[in-house]
Amino acid sequence: MAQGFSYVGKRLTRPDVTGKVTGAAMYGADMTLPGMLIGRILTSPHAHAKIVRIDTSRAKTLPGVAAVITHEDVPKLGFTRSAMAEGFPAVAYKGENQDQFILSEKARYVGDWVAAVAALDVYTAEKALDLIEVEYEQLPAVFDPEEAAKPGAPAIHDRWQDNIAGVIEHPFNRGDVEKALAESDYVVEFSGRNSRQKHAHMEPDVALARWDEEGRVTVWSPCQNAHLAKRAMAQRIFDIGEGNIRWITPTVGGGFGARMSFGVEPVCAMLAKVTGKAVKVVITREEDFSGWNCRTEMRQTVTMGLSKDGTVTAIKQRILSDAGAYLSHSGSISAVNMQSTLGLLRSPVISGKATVVYTNNPTSSGMRGYGNPEGSFVLQQAIDMAAEKSGMDPVAFRLKNARGVGEPSMWEPVDLDSCSLDKCIKLGAERIGWTDKWEGWGRKKEGRFRRGVGMSIMTHASGAGGFLLEHSNAIIKLHEDGSAHLTVSPCEMGQGILGVLSQIAAEAAGLRYEDIHVITGDTDVTLFDIGSHASRSTYVIGNAVVDAGKKIREILLKRAAKRLETTPDKLDVREGRIYLIADPDTAISVAQISRDAIYDYGTDGQHITATGRYQSLTHCPNFQAGFAEVEVDTETGVIKILRFVLAHDIGRAINPQNVEGCLEGGACQGIGYALSEDLLIDGKTGEVLTDSFATYKMPSALDMPEIDVILVEDPAPTGPFGAKGVGEPGMTNVAPAIANALYDAVGIRIHSLPMTPEKVLEVLRAKEHEGSV
Amino acid sequence: MRKEIATFVVNGNEYEVIVEPHMLLIDVLRDKLGFTGTKYACGAGDCGACTVLIDGKPSFSCLTLAVTARGKSIVTIEGLAQGTELHPIQKAFVDKGAIQCGYCTPGMVLSAKALLDENPAPARDEIKSALAGNLCRCTGYVKIVDAVEAAADAMRTGG
Amino acid sequence: MHRVLLPFEFAEPTTVGEVVGMVDGQKAMVLAGGVDLVLKMRLRQILPEKVVSLQKVPGLDYVQEDGSGLRFGALASLRKIELSAVVRGGWPLLAEAIGLIASVQTKVMGTAIGNLCVGTPASDIAPALYALGAGVTIVGTDSAREIPIKQFFVDVGKTAVQPHEIVAEIFIPRPPAGSAGAFMKLSKTSEDIAKVNAAVLVTIVDGACTDAKIALGSVAPTPVRASEAERLLQGRGMNARTIAEAAEAAAEAATPISDVRSTAAYRKEMVRVLVKDALEKAAARALARGGGHHA
Repeated sequence: MAQGFSYVGKRLTRPDVTGKVTGAAMYGADMTLPGMLIGRILTSPHAHAKIVRIDTSRAKTLPGVAAVITHEDVPKLGFTRSAMAEGFPAVAYKGENQDQFILSEKARYVGDWVAAVAALDVYTAEKALDLIEVEYEQLPAVFDPEEAAKPGAPAIHDRWQDNIAGVIEHPFNRGDVEKALAESDYVVEFSGRNSRQKHAHMEPDVALARWDEEGRVTVWSPCQNAHLAKRAMAQRIFDIGEGNIRWITPTVGGGFGARMSFGVEPVCAMLAKVTGKAVKVVITREEDFSGWNCRTEMRQTVTMGLSKDGTVTAIKQRILSDAGAYLSHSGSISAVNMQSTLGLLRSPVISGKATVVYTNNPTSSGMRGYGNPEGSFVLQQAIDMAAEKSGMDPVAFRLKNARGVGEPSMWEPVDLDSCSLDKCIKLGAERIGWTDKWEGWGRKKEGRFRRGVGMSIMTHASGAGGFLLEHSNAIIKLHEDGSAHLTVSPCEMGQGILGVLSQIAAEAAGLRYEDIHVITGDTDVTLFDIGSHASRSTYVIGNAVVDAGKKIREILLKRAAKRLETTPDKLDVREGRIYLIADPDTAISVAQISRDAIYDYGTDGQHITATGRYQSLTHCPNFQAGFAEVEVDTETGVIKILRFVLAHDIGRAINPQNVEGCLEGGACQGIGYALSEDLLIDGKTGEVLTDSFATYKMPSALDMPEIDVILVEDPAPTGPFGAKGVGEPGMTNVAPAIANALYDAVGIRIHSLPMTPEKVLEVLRAKEHEGSV
Repeated sequence: MRKEIATFVVNGNEYEVIVEPHMLLIDVLRDKLGFTGTKYACGAGDCGACTVLIDGKPSFSCLTLAVTARGKSIVTIEGLAQGTELHPIQKAFVDKGAIQCGYCTPGMVLSAKALLDENPAPARDEIKSALAGNLCRCTGYVKIVDAVEAAADAMRTGG
Repeated sequence: MHRVLLPFEFAEPTTVGEVVGMVDGQKAMVLAGGVDLVLKMRLRQILPEKVVSLQKVPGLDYVQEDGSGLRFGALASLRKIELSAVVRGGWPLLAEAIGLIASVQTKVMGTAIGNLCVGTPASDIAPALYALGAGVTIVGTDSAREIPIKQFFVDVGKTAVQPHEIVAEIFIPRPPAGSAGAFMKLSKTSEDIAKVNAAVLVTIVDGACTDAKIALGSVAPTPVRASEAERLLQGRGMNARTIAEAAEAAAEAATPISDVRSTAAYRKEMVRVLVKDALEKAAARALARGGGHHA
């Protein structure tokens, strides 16, 4: 680490936190605009019903109501809720079904949007909602994807009469998998399903919108990919040009992938259009739980073929995904699941296939990990089964079979040029005391409380380079005082990207960190970028910033060289100061160069600015090994996590405090996902039963065990200062490591998430009954 | 009682507001008085984002009828810093990386303040217990607990 | 689903007499801490036309002991009771139960009596009060009656409080010499409503259990006493075998349902485990206090 960075690698304070800690930071709901109306949405109480008649007359005439709209008042343009789909190449975009309307003509889930009101205040708006009369014709509903896929199941969308939203073949399938499995010495198989985990970002969805006199609309919302959302809104929802929308992103209270889907923005923009006023639409937490975002429930089977010495000979994955009532991200998530699952181990034969089905459940979408936590729960248990079958230690099995440098990455056209997974595995195993604590397969433990250790490994993208629209642009503009504006278009949703990009900018351009001011969150000002998701911001946007920084540096050195009567190659710039390498005391400040450039009455006047550009053609995957030590109470089935260790191949931690924060936070969500978070839906009515934090249980401060984070820093050749992504990976290894530790402790496996005490006890008792515990 | 002019004492200052009984304290604070630092996240007393101190005690402003808070001393997050000088708890949150999206932060800081006002030298377990009613979806609580520990140290040594 | 409440009339009388005159438990509801009432109103589960606040009636937040026992009033918050030195010293079982309600804000705002008046069998303080043999004083316009806590809960969400009545006081007699208790709770996460909760209070004299109280929550429409289990311990030493028998009998007394928190089968089995664990803990505590050696 003796690189002598000024800012890279330092635990610097982020620029956005002071406003957050004083209460000054403005989130969407905090904003008011002159003459603003409040909007509320009426939702369907039925899971599947035709709207026969809506009578809004009483609502419309309530004093204080400015507008009431229904499906009759909105453009009949279908769109996909996934704003990210705008970043797909055409071949993939086709798969993102345009099945959504601003307001539905037919209710397809309990909570579907039927009407909307804009009024002077929220009290009036809600009174108006209560006055809207809707006559429904209830239709048979289906809540199970297997049932929905059967012939004769009620058709949820006219265009997809068989409820099959899509069938996806893994693009990197190779070989004849049935043949390979038949010829393998051993075959193991594990089936499981994940749960509909809620993003549960603490800030509920919200949007403001206002159309101006020239027909331009401004939308304010917590959006992860404003440039894409803008395009989707322009092209598909309102049919106006991209230049006629301005998307502003206020402070965002958590995203985790939820903000890549349209929330209330289309309804809000529609109400603003109809009223000619600014409108703010708010929702309740109960509406969020019953709404349009959660992790897609996937039922999966992973089958692995092995040779006697524990080499993987074939791997097969089959997925059935429940998209819910509208497709949103469920298709692309299923594809990414296969990529991360099938792209982790070395195998000559690969076969992946996903079927995505509509049901009358609330829409599911993409959540942190985007298919990876879904797949890993199943894959990593199959891997342990494979290790056991081969008589190998789980650590050794993974070291033997995981792909490494020079082999294809999860995005197979591109080989790995950076992979320290083996180091992560070894360091993590050492930290948790694996060799002392793992006693071997089939060791029966005694006593009421039994301990076990388990592990999991994963790979995740640092942006989907080579597939998505992965070019990014960053602008650095200097001021007379030597400070700089850094114009970039990520979405700061808590991960600390603004600070990280500032550190990169300062380091690359030779400026002072405290002199960088980030300009972001306004599509009128920022340049095109597909936003923050797929853990891409540090890698892709960071590289664009590096490019901008290099260009600034060149300009500074060139101008300073003139001033100091030397040549640029004899100078360096660091922390706002340009100096002679041979004699550092001979220097001139960036401020002075910048000011003199502007105040040049001669021929050399310049406002020092540079636009950096980067196009990523690689996923530049990051890697991680996670280890859990648990204690299982065999009388209550409660799994207590004693310790969780994770070692992450980060390339370079631009800000280690930030990286730790992402990983610790991810681990907490992973623990909830593994043990307690359960979105329960009534099997008869389709109503979400767990629609509050009182019934949907996430860990509190009291539920967190010690989390041990190890950062493995082997700089990635193509990363900005060697950095790779880390926004999502914190979640992925937790549930599988706990599942494998559970097996080590008490010899059972659970096939569905969450792994509740009820399930653990049931399986334990069944096993005891068989006389094998 | 229907509509009346009520006096609220917020962060040491008196404000006169027109209130009706069905108005929640959180909405009076945010919409009528402009104290948007207090956040609405669940409206059900399940997450603590709306926490304010009422007569020094941490309370859910989303479940408090505004009329019942008349005349009581209310402290919101805006009342902690002295001008631009952050309160030691705020400073510690900033320094320790305890803030990610920031939405839970105001409530979390106020719950921490209530703890430290009562118990200036809490153990880590006591800190976790004091924050049990405040949910965070971003940080995993690790650095939040670190921050409260650091703040307690700083406040005891006059930092 | 609603973000705001519907309008209502609000009254802040200054005497209990005025309060009971106004409330009927349906159109006119009493407001103590409000944690339950305000939420139910927002969710449109209760639609009172009038809300009558207790908060302006002086002297209702007392937590005090006298010769016969502990008394607390209608505005005594859970937090005040939890932190009271008197309660921690003399009625530690109650403090332990409140301690497992994790949210500080809930305990600051919520009153103990308000908690009971919700009438949920999952109340964390109810099993403790059952085990301690608490009495509930209900006052009306011209009346006052004290009933044992086990008559207070009538059904899910229903208590013995009639229109024009409020609960004025909870009285808890002093636990017998040689007694010790334990409260246990299982839930999905630490800050959560119980799947199952249980409170036991055992009195051990010269190595034998002279009295056992076992109260279960969340496993029937109201909190229940496991009377058969209590009887099984009477007069016997507390050891693994007797405790197991009692725990088994307690499980028999439970009639839990399946809901969003847990399953009936799991809850029933957990009654056995929690009661066993609680009895072991209570017996050890009684021993530590010198209640006679473990048989």
